[in-house]
Amino acid sequence: MMSFIRPRWRRPALMILAGAAFAAAWGVRGGPHWSLWATLFGVAALVRALWIYLLAGEDADAGALAGSRADERQKVLNLRSWAMSGRLGMIAAFIGLTVAVAVKASWWWPFLAILAVTGAGYVLGIAVYQTRSGE
Amino acid sequence: MRNRVRERRTQRGLSQAELAAALGVSRQTVISIESGRYLPSLPLAFAIARFFDLPVDKMFDPDDEEADT
Repeated sequence: MMSFIRPRWRRPALMILAGAAFAAAWGVRGGPHWSLWATLFGVAALVRALWIYLLAGEDADAGALAGSRADERQKVLNLRSWAMSGRLGMIAAFIGLTVAVAVKASWWWPFLAILAVTGAGYVLGIAVYQTRSGE
Repeated sequence: MRNRVRERRTQRGLSQAELAAALGVSRQTVISIESGRYLPSLPLAFAIARFFDLPVDKMFDPDDEEADT
């Protein structure tokens, strides 16, 4: 999808794109200090993109992942890290949902939404990547 | 699983970086394979064996369990 961008620029470009989208969201939201927040998040995204670009120059696993030049072991490392990230996200969402229900808060539903999306993602992953009998 | 990557590499006078470049993997992956922390995929195992002109079962000894992956 991003093969027209040099490998080292792919993740920084994604960071800049995400930062621009978030800054634009502050613009759409409006309010008295929207430009301040938009600038703040825009600059933060630029700094993060620069950091990832510099990290991509490192001769290390993190550098290879940041520079989109991972070999097979580093891709496995990346998958394991994402799996851990997903698990921690689900656990955090479950704790958040449990606490929100217990204190009768109105903000319980975002936690349920995160749990639903991550759970559905897991089921989808099994459905897509499983080996069916007869293949 | 024990392997003879380090032994063969040093016999040839290659650095880990040179072997990594020849195999198209990172230096860290060569280090992980040599130390037995990472078991390479079949294609990479065959590429390593071919590089050192050894059958894959001579390069990697399945009877000696060392690796955790």
